[in-house]
Amino acid sequence: MDPAGNGRILPPRNIRNTECNGVDHVAAIEKGPNESSGGLAFLNDERFRSVFYQIVAFAVVAWVIYYLVSNTSNNLEARGMTAGLDFLWSTAGFSIVWSFLDYKPNDPYGWVYVVGMVNTLFVALIAIVLTTILGFVIGILRLSSNWLISALAGAYVEVLRNTPLLIQMLVWYLGVFAVLPRPKQSFYLFNLDFLPINNRGLYLPKGVADDLFWLTTVAIVIAIGLVIALNKWAINKQETTGEIIPTLWPTLGILFGLPAIVFIATGMPLSFDPPVLKGFNFRGGTSIPPAMCALLIALVVYHAAFAGEMVRAGIQSVSHGQTEAAYSLGLKPSWTMRLVIIPQAMRAIIPPMISLWMNVIKNSSLAVAIGYPDLVSVFMQTTLNQSGHAIEVVGLVMLFYMTCSLTISLCLNVYNRKIQLRER
Amino acid sequence: MSDVTAPGGKTGLLEFKPKPSMPPPVKTTGVIAWLRANLFGSWLDTFMTILGLYVLYVILSGVYHWGVETAVWQAETRRVCLDTSPYGACWAGVFVWFERFIYGRYPSEEIWRVNLSWVLFAAWMAPVWFPRVTYKVFIGLSAVLIYPFLAGYLYLGGERGWFMEVMVAVAIVSFIACWAHVLLCLVFNRNLGDTVIRLSGFSGRPETQHKYPLIVGGLLAVIVVMVAIQAWELPYMSTNKWGGMFLTLVISGIGIASALPIGIFAALGRRSKMPVIRVFTTVYIELFRSVPLITVLFMATTMFPLFLPEGMVFNKLASAIVAVCLFSGAYMAETVRGGLQAIPRGQYEASAALGHGYWQTMGLIVMPQALKLMIPNIVGSFIGLFKDTTLVAIIGLYDLLGMIEAVSQDPKWIGLHSEPLMAAALMYFVGCFAMSRYSMHLEKTLGQGDRR
Repeated sequence: MDPAGNGRILPPRNIRNTECNGVDHVAAIEKGPNESSGGLAFLNDERFRSVFYQIVAFAVVAWVIYYLVSNTSNNLEARGMTAGLDFLWSTAGFSIVWSFLDYKPNDPYGWVYVVGMVNTLFVALIAIVLTTILGFVIGILRLSSNWLISALAGAYVEVLRNTPLLIQMLVWYLGVFAVLPRPKQSFYLFNLDFLPINNRGLYLPKGVADDLFWLTTVAIVIAIGLVIALNKWAINKQETTGEIIPTLWPTLGILFGLPAIVFIATGMPLSFDPPVLKGFNFRGGTSIPPAMCALLIALVVYHAAFAGEMVRAGIQSVSHGQTEAAYSLGLKPSWTMRLVIIPQAMRAIIPPMISLWMNVIKNSSLAVAIGYPDLVSVFMQTTLNQSGHAIEVVGLVMLFYMTCSLTISLCLNVYNRKIQLRER
Repeated sequence: MSDVTAPGGKTGLLEFKPKPSMPPPVKTTGVIAWLRANLFGSWLDTFMTILGLYVLYVILSGVYHWGVETAVWQAETRRVCLDTSPYGACWAGVFVWFERFIYGRYPSEEIWRVNLSWVLFAAWMAPVWFPRVTYKVFIGLSAVLIYPFLAGYLYLGGERGWFMEVMVAVAIVSFIACWAHVLLCLVFNRNLGDTVIRLSGFSGRPETQHKYPLIVGGLLAVIVVMVAIQAWELPYMSTNKWGGMFLTLVISGIGIASALPIGIFAALGRRSKMPVIRVFTTVYIELFRSVPLITVLFMATTMFPLFLPEGMVFNKLASAIVAVCLFSGAYMAETVRGGLQAIPRGQYEASAALGHGYWQTMGLIVMPQALKLMIPNIVGSFIGLFKDTTLVAIIGLYDLLGMIEAVSQDPKWIGLHSEPLMAAALMYFVGCFAMSRYSMHLEKTLGQGDRR
């Protein structure tokens, strides 16, 4: 078989009884043919290589980290600074244009961090809800059998997807909200005189709850509970008996009727404090600053284009055979859509939609360009410039975004596991 | 029997008499039918069509009124614009500043260098789309890997160190070699390598010796070019003069060119069996994917100076480019990983059965398939990166958006925002839309083998 004797046939690993003259021949053979001529055979061993590469990689990374850390500590020493999170307790001293939480200039930097996070999350959550709704509308319009409507939706998607968000945001801010008139010449949204909009922002009437308003709140909670129970019961009924119980109207009735009844019965304990023009500015109500309006509109309009494409792709991913099969079972078109197409489309829509939500949170950081006080703006810009604690500030900001991202991907994993196709 | 006569016949057989023909079906072709099917199918459809037309009318008439009808096309200052037409667009400012939008603060008499670099790049890449040209991969790779040194020197100018001296010469030689090769292909149907071997008289020797004339020829050419360009020196232009579309293309170009290699290695690392490497690459990918680009850019401008040894200064452009590369590499890694996951195990096993090692399996079998699958996503991330480079304006670089904002600071055009922004949006739209259409086209042509 091997007359030249170059190659050797390795004995199976489990035979290890071949010790003659005190030399373990099997071990010698296993080391490979080059063992006698130089002893470098182990270089071709996959396990050895793998360990070697990992050690090298670890050493390189460790050296890089050591190098950066030592440079940083030298640099900090040269600048007379110390690293650490102590600065979070010293007074910030600057004011923030708008914040969801209460903030005063003599609050510490740590509170600035919290205020910034809440501002970011506040705007991002509103944007996420509106994006999802608008995205579904766009996606469904895109699939319309009406040529004009689907072409318009397509044009919307293409135009907004292919221009940078930052430019859109600046157009909304500088081109729309910054050129609005002064409060005296305010526009009124829908010609309603309690919705003035001017270069100080959009004003909304503020609801003032009276004593018994909490009963209405309780009624809303009860109504939501009832609706969930009703729908569960209806689904259960359908699964066991096949009988379909219409739930749409009862749902709406409970959801709006019960709170309304309680509200009226307790004597309408809610009054509105509308914004009123006094002198040069509006008093009363709450105002949304122009930067926030621009940020919200830009985020929603831009991401809705992506969401629309996801919805379209999701619905189209359900094969036409499903529709035909549903029709041949005698389902009417609306049921086909609701019971067959949408549940399957959701499987394809929701995962990318959740990562889109993460993008909304991340892209809300562009607020820094138009002056909405989000986390990046108040913490990474103002606080960093004032305190000079670059590493800690950047680290804390990244920590926030990473926490958001991890939470969202956790939700995504749970959802994915739940909807995974169970193939039998 | 005689009373059974059919009308008009005496044979007793019924005469065939056709029924009157049915009315023709409602037209299913032509303009009317198309309108009926697509626009006025039902009452709801008709309503939607009218609503759509109204929306279209409102948008188009608004844009036309602002941007064309009442717009000012030529003026000295914004004041003049406002005096002529207070509510129309002031395109005059955009025209005056247009050269700045494209080239930033690069001096007008040196602009030819930027233009030359773009022409060179187009000429370098063009053969990739020619039929009958061989070794296209080498042409493309040389355009991506060697061209940047030449372009970098054209932009920066000044004295060349020994490294740039060599690289510029190598770049010039490779450009000439590429085109010589292309011409040989197109005219004589030969390739450059064979021609050089034949001319040197090595064609008779064994094949193992064929590489010598190529190496010697290449080295000679580089040395000749180095001597020839010894006296050639361009005036130095510091990077803070770079700006506009030119800077945007520099940043996104470097980002795109480095994203793919970084992404491929990071993706392989993340799928590796070695735990240490897997952990490091996973941390890198997840870290950069979970934070917004703007925080990475802020990190680059504020933390890099701390990381470097004392006395070493990293300019803002370089830090921004490093940040963009790291960021886009992490995204590309996930895209490539998606492609790798789609390759069935059988491909790896077949490759192993052929005796390929890890790098051969990846380079020859897996990557070509994975990258082909992921072309739409790769182009998608390129488009994203191209759009994302606008963020460097926030950290104070004068890219296209930075120049757009600079217009409104110019005393003559103070406060002019919307028109330049619209112009920039249009430029970005053209670039991104073209890329996305091209990727759709590529997807179709490359996928032809898979369709039955």
